[in-house]
Amino acid sequence: MSINVIKSGFLSLVEDYGRFGLAQYGLSQSGVADEHAYCWANHLLDNDFNDAVLEITFGGCELTVLSDISIVVTGADLGFKINDKIQPLWQVINVSSGDNLTWSVAKSGVRAYLAVKGGFQTTEFFNSRSSNLREQIGAKLIDGDLLSYDSTSSEMTHHAMPSHFFPNYEQDLILRLLPTYQFDQFEQHQKDVFFNQDYTISSAYDRTGCRLEGQSIKDSQSKMISEGISYGSVEITTEGFPIILLKDSPTIGGYPKIGTVFSLDLAKLAQRQIGNKVSFELMDIETAQQKRRDFNVFFGIQ
Amino acid sequence: MFNIKSASENSIIIYFGDQMSPALIEKISFYCQLLTDKLADIIIDVVPSYTSLLISYRLNLINQQDMCDRVEKYLLSHDIDTVESSSKLIEIPVYYDFEVGLDLEELLSEKQLSLEEFIAIHSSKEYLVYAIGFSPAFAFLGEVDQRIRKNRLPSPRIQIPAGSVGIADNQTAVYPINSSGGWNIIGRSPLDFSLDNPDNLKRFAVGGSIRFVPIDKDKYLALGGIL
Repeated sequence: MSINVIKSGFLSLVEDYGRFGLAQYGLSQSGVADEHAYCWANHLLDNDFNDAVLEITFGGCELTVLSDISIVVTGADLGFKINDKIQPLWQVINVSSGDNLTWSVAKSGVRAYLAVKGGFQTTEFFNSRSSNLREQIGAKLIDGDLLSYDSTSSEMTHHAMPSHFFPNYEQDLILRLLPTYQFDQFEQHQKDVFFNQDYTISSAYDRTGCRLEGQSIKDSQSKMISEGISYGSVEITTEGFPIILLKDSPTIGGYPKIGTVFSLDLAKLAQRQIGNKVSFELMDIETAQQKRRDFNVFFGIQ
Repeated sequence: MFNIKSASENSIIIYFGDQMSPALIEKISFYCQLLTDKLADIIIDVVPSYTSLLISYRLNLINQQDMCDRVEKYLLSHDIDTVESSSKLIEIPVYYDFEVGLDLEELLSEKQLSLEEFIAIHSSKEYLVYAIGFSPAFAFLGEVDQRIRKNRLPSPRIQIPAGSVGIADNQTAVYPINSSGGWNIIGRSPLDFSLDNPDNLKRFAVGGSIRFVPIDKDKYLALGGIL
């Protein structure tokens, strides 16, 4: 029971919630770039929160279903169609053997998620199905791949996400930043520059990190002794520009960090394109923990 | 003594000092193990390195303040002197030669050393693992003898063969897989360090000890080395 990859698209990767417990040996967290869209996809199918999905970046992807299964597509609007007919996102669809699934081009957002009932049963590496190209773990899809699943379920009802949860990927994004690491070592005038400008997402933007362009924070500290990196850490390069470290980032790094972006805002960042604007505002740790705890409880994340 | 800071909504970083030293990395390695044991139910990941220890934890189970309090309690109530180190010495065979040591010739002429002298200096020392990162199972080993230290290359090489042994300033390391990098390459190990063999992931651990064992070309080839 599987889905056949006719066209792999620009960048399509199998990902799950991530790879944990092995960071001390240098393995990245990895996992889906947009946890919001990912969690909704599994939630609507009544899947486990860690079930593997397909992360389709920019589109150009075509798949053929080889046996009946319930699916959900969430995240970016990449012109998702079944047998040439536009389909709704954020809701359960029962597809049949022979159905043709296509994603053309990015209309809104960057990454679409395809979840199947029970999750994709690809090979696990170090307790996770997440691909990490930088680490040469897993690989991007290629034409002719087969994505298998256990099709034991019967047809599901058309659960859908309530419309008031629909994200708007076109809005300018304000990233909430926790004052972590070397925050206190940056001068007030540097923080003023950092918090009072709209940065532009540069072309140096992938699953490892997102480099921002704008006005430089002058006289930034030089490199320091390398230390452990958290998901969302904002390094300031010696030239004074921020790099937001993402899921595939190395586990240690040597640039000073002005703070760490709240994880649910990183999910929003995952749907922004090169050239989009982002800015930063401060968030306190208690609020961030409460919001993330609520999210975890809602989606059954352990 | 130590300083705890927030690192994200579900992680903290403990600073044990501000300069790398054998004593400090031993201390970090000890407390890393201690906290991993004591707080196994709430810790997700630990990243020890040089002067610090990053810990991510399950925020569903504990908030940041309570996490800091519990960590502080263990750090204050356990003294590193009360236990003995259990790490074993790992030996890595290395073929030191110009045909695999891409930067060896230049380094020797700069340092005015013969190949034999260089090999003796690099391989006579026991190195400590100060950090693991850059890529999986890439261990940063220190400290390199003053006589053979050299800064990174001005710009990194696009492709360094797997198993290559490099020097950058006061550190040395083995590249586990083919990758780009800016270290001065001085030799190559015939061992397979890649994650094709999953056991290789845990070959090195922070605080562990490593020694390089010089081998000749025949031994290098016999052990599976590729030229």
